Amino acid sequence: MKILNEKRVVPLLLMIHCRLVVGRALTVNPSSSMCENTHVCKPNVAEQTRKLVVLLNATAQDLFSIYLDCQGDPFSSHLDELCNANGTNFPDFHVNRTSHKDIMVALYKVFAFLNASLGNITRDQEELNPMAKELLERLHNTTKTTRGLISNLTCLLCTDYKVSQVNVTYGKSSKGMNVFKKKQQGCQVLRRYVQVVSQAAQVLLPHLSQA
Amino acid sequence: MWDNPSLRCLLAIAFLHLLSLIYSQETGKSTPGNWKCITHDLNRMICSWDATSSANRGLTYKICQFRAAAIKTPVSAVAGNDFECMLFFLVSFQALIPLTPQILNLSADFSTYTLYLTWNDSGSVFQHELDASCTILSRSGFNVFPINYDSKLTGKDSILFWNWTSDIPLECTSYYVKIRCYINELYFTGRKEWSEWSPVRTVPEKDTKPNSVMVFPQDKVVLVGSNVTFCCLYNEGKSVKFMKYGSESYPLLRLSKWSSAIKVQNVSASVPSGTNVWCSLVPDDVEGTVLFVGYAPDTPQNLNCETRTFITITCSWNPGRPTALYSKRRTKYILFERISRENVTCKVEELNKKHACDFPVHANQKIYNFTLSASNPLGQAESSLLIDVNQRVHLETPDKFTVSTNSSTHAHLSWYIPGNFIKIRLLCQIEISNSNSERQLQNVSMAGAENSNYRAWVDALHPYGTYTFRVRCSASEYFWKWSKWSEGKKLTTLEAPPARGPDIWRQRSPVGETVTVFWKPLLLSEANGIILSHEVVCYLRERMLKAHEVPVPLNSTEIKLGGNDCLISVIAKNRAGSSPPSRITSVDLPSDNVKTELAIATGNGIYISWHSDPNVTCGYTLKWCISSGSEPCNVDWEMFPSNAIDAVIKSALFQPGVRYNFSLYGCKHNGYQLLQNITGYMKELPPKVAPNFTVEETSSDSILVKWEDIPVEDCQGFLKGYILYFAKGEKGSSKTSFMEEGSPELTVKNITDLTKKSLRILGLQGKTSYRLDLRAYTVGGIGPSKDLYVVTKENSVGLIIAILIPVAVAVVLGVVTSILCYQKREWIKETFYPDIPNPENSKALQFQKNICEGNTALKTLEMNPCTPNSVEVVETRSTVLKIEDTEIISPVADSELPEDGSETGTGSHVVVSYCPPIIEEEISSPPIDEPVGSSQVIYIDIQSMYQPQVNPEEEPEINFVTTAGYKPQMQLPINAMKMESHSPTEEDLDKIAGYRPQANTNVWKLNSPDSPVSIQSNNENGSFGSPCSINSRQFLIPPKDYEDSPTPNNTGWSFTHFFQNKPND
Repeated sequence: MKILNEKRVVPLLLMIHCRLVVGRALTVNPSSSMCENTHVCKPNVAEQTRKLVVLLNATAQDLFSIYLDCQGDPFSSHLDELCNANGTNFPDFHVNRTSHKDIMVALYKVFAFLNASLGNITRDQEELNPMAKELLERLHNTTKTTRGLISNLTCLLCTDYKVSQVNVTYGKSSKGMNVFKKKQQGCQVLRRYVQVVSQAAQVLLPHLSQA
Repeated sequence: MWDNPSLRCLLAIAFLHLLSLIYSQETGKSTPGNWKCITHDLNRMICSWDATSSANRGLTYKICQFRAAAIKTPVSAVAGNDFECMLFFLVSFQALIPLTPQILNLSADFSTYTLYLTWNDSGSVFQHELDASCTILSRSGFNVFPINYDSKLTGKDSILFWNWTSDIPLECTSYYVKIRCYINELYFTGRKEWSEWSPVRTVPEKDTKPNSVMVFPQDKVVLVGSNVTFCCLYNEGKSVKFMKYGSESYPLLRLSKWSSAIKVQNVSASVPSGTNVWCSLVPDDVEGTVLFVGYAPDTPQNLNCETRTFITITCSWNPGRPTALYSKRRTKYILFERISRENVTCKVEELNKKHACDFPVHANQKIYNFTLSASNPLGQAESSLLIDVNQRVHLETPDKFTVSTNSSTHAHLSWYIPGNFIKIRLLCQIEISNSNSERQLQNVSMAGAENSNYRAWVDALHPYGTYTFRVRCSASEYFWKWSKWSEGKKLTTLEAPPARGPDIWRQRSPVGETVTVFWKPLLLSEANGIILSHEVVCYLRERMLKAHEVPVPLNSTEIKLGGNDCLISVIAKNRAGSSPPSRITSVDLPSDNVKTELAIATGNGIYISWHSDPNVTCGYTLKWCISSGSEPCNVDWEMFPSNAIDAVIKSALFQPGVRYNFSLYGCKHNGYQLLQNITGYMKELPPKVAPNFTVEETSSDSILVKWEDIPVEDCQGFLKGYILYFAKGEKGSSKTSFMEEGSPELTVKNITDLTKKSLRILGLQGKTSYRLDLRAYTVGGIGPSKDLYVVTKENSVGLIIAILIPVAVAVVLGVVTSILCYQKREWIKETFYPDIPNPENSKALQFQKNICEGNTALKTLEMNPCTPNSVEVVETRSTVLKIEDTEIISPVADSELPEDGSETGTGSHVVVSYCPPIIEEEISSPPIDEPVGSSQVIYIDIQSMYQPQVNPEEEPEINFVTTAGYKPQMQLPINAMKMESHSPTEEDLDKIAGYRPQANTNVWKLNSPDSPVSIQSNNENGSFGSPCSINSRQFLIPPKDYEDSPTPNNTGWSFTHFFQNKPND
């Protein structure tokens, strides 16, 4: 009877764990705080962060266009039907925030989500479009820039805003999805990414110039 | 008939049945109903009947079987109880009904759309083999598929299999399967019926109330050209708006309540990420799938296996047609070796498109039998190759290649080749390239080694030569392929003493006190190093007089002879040593009458020939000097053997159009003698400038032109002559028009006599501008031109003569005429101006006779063509005598006149030789009723001309007024006769009386009577009073108002016309 109970409880715990990881904000364990390995930020980190966001904003639309081209019809022609951004868990980014800290936290959530999603998209596209050099190159570059941005945001949050914990969400893993779903999910994420990074670039400009 | 068993059987059954009826009626018991006997195994009969009748209650049934003699008869039964026994005769047919088949399993392979069905045939119930047939009924959605399956029962239970492949994904709809069987026993005479249907089995379906929208098949890979059905499963309450394959919509097929499909025919190759198929639903929902369309792998082409290191064998191939499938759907290659039974999975780089695979070399295996298998989800292909690894050695590029030397002719080479070549020999090829890009190959064979350096050396190199070496290798015994060339290495060999002495020449000063010695630098191949200096020594009878060390780059030196000739020796020196000496004597032999010859330009050199001199024993030397600008000229020379008589001298310094002077020296036993001077060009060009020329003298018909020589440096060739062009031309006229070929006025004079420096051009016109153009020419072409404009002088003598001659002629003619007139004044007066005209001398008055003769056929003077040359004088009807001098009667006139009826027999006529002026108009359109032939001119008397030409009948109506005009002063009888017959007015009488001045303007009419109108219309106004020429009908003296009158229409020429028409011209 005890064994039976254990057999029922363990999957339940695993399921809850997975739900936490996949579906909703992940509470950062204080013992493994994101600020653990953070040192003093370089003096130009704020400007560098802004430039990285501007860079991502400048390249996002091209990345999205190339992505659509590589997926074939009807992704580029029926964008609204197939790539409805509401289908993702992409974190919201409200432009009417006034607190620097809130903006930084929101940005961190956005780019943490994006970083994970870019990993899925890159892996899927390497499998689906191994010959699409430009697409893969842009995905890799965007991923690298996003990681740099996350590093800078971590530094700013930990040192300037004294935030050691941010609840973040990640998108659904595309593993096990059929190819159409993989394409669709990538399209949804990247479409939303284009919108959000544009807002972020607009919002970030005055705030970071003040920092 | 009784032999028929069937008939006997039927009769027996009928009899028994009849008995049964009789007995049952007697006992009151009813016969059991629905009596039926069946068998499932041909061994046991199962009978059943209906015992529900109340009359049969309490009965105990006992079944008895009667067996017919020859046939298996139906079973009959007898029923009875403890109290009484009643016998029923029941007859029934047997039925063979197989047992209901039991489906053991129904499974589905969704990837291949295949259903698998297994069931037990229950064959053990039969004792012997039987043929069986089953019907499998499957249903998907609204469709039912009955399938027959034949089998053989073997007396044992067998598991039977059946599979069926759908043309649509199995997920699209549920499949229901049931089965029944039938046994076809030939010897069973009863009824044979199908078994009962087995219980329905269902394929695990997905369309039964699906939880979400799904599209099938998912991520399927199909061949290009396939027909594919896609279905969309959706929840209840939703409906499909459309389904698209790529961007194209297809008609929907309804499969079930929750499933719709599209069928795509002949699909084409998809993009790498696959073709999207998507289903749009109402309300808004979208789902899709991806189809990968490609090809099965092509047979690997050009499979080639070779070893580079004897460690691995590398096989490479061409994959052939692309499959259009990538990543996990791409073609996978496996290299299998049959002898060792090993295989290797090949890793193919899609981006590099490099298709190669390494297989390990086994120690004791020489022969390898490879099979390369290519497979992808759509199929597989393979290619095989058998090789001897020792014969397939393709070495790696030699590495670590070094070159060294310690000699002027040898070099040592070393290189490294990775791999184990202990069992074979290597053949290496060394390429030696010198500085002139001359390439030489040298093969070296050597034993193979394992990961070793290999060494070789090359000889016969040139001292101080710069070489580039590189090496490549292959297997020596079985050549397969060369390796790639190693990188090139440069090497310069050490220096050696110069191979020979320099070419030398000497030139004595004009006085002879000094001699300048020249030498040519040695070629690099002769110098064997860098020449540092030249040693010049002067020997007098083996005694060294002077020695000069001349450093490079000087190539001449001056030696003072001091009145003695000597033998000059020149030695070239480099770091490795000295060259053998070159010797030449300073002695110059005297020369007499040295001629200068012309050489021939060959375009790239100068051809020079000379006469052989038997005294020349040690060859000829041709010397020339090339000056460049202000610097002193560079002496150059070339030596020829004694038997040479010509040579083509070439030099990079020769320039086209430049004159070069050569001196030919003969080498005799006691010195050099100048034999000949030669002038020539490498290539002749047109003269650079035009000759400078002037006009020395000009007359009315000639020009004297003089020109100067062109300087030699401007000739650019041997001058062959001058060309002088001249033509009329003014300043400002274009040169091209002047030089146009074929211009009629252009004159060309070719002056080939070069000694001539002037030319007189004759035959010109006076006071005319001429353009002169002089050019010089060589073999190379015609040079530029220089032109002059000259105006010739006026020819005054000719003008004077032209004026004087006509004046003189006129004067002479006048004088002669005057003299003649004076001498003949009497005759002239008598003839032309008599005081009283003599009618006999006046032809004009001859007409009066005709008038007097009363000729009624009045005729005007006809102007006929010259063809007839006779004049016909027509006689009048009157009896007046004919004028004597017109009595020549023409026979022709006699024959023609009768044609005119009016004149026949009424008058005669005279034809006189006459040539009238040609009047074309009148000839071309003579009046039809004209009684006179068109070829005749008719003279009428002057008076008759005053009258209109009328018919004789109209004669009385003639108006006498019109007869006024010229009248001879002699009164003719006819006038008297006419006056009698008419009653003329006083005015008329006055007009015809006596002499009348010829200018009677009253009767002059506007129209000339010779006009065609007046002639043809018999116009009464056609008369005139002017005197009339015998050659024409024109007035000799026109009336005053005539000038105002229109110009006569007559276009015939006449003298009067000439005067009349002139003002109008």
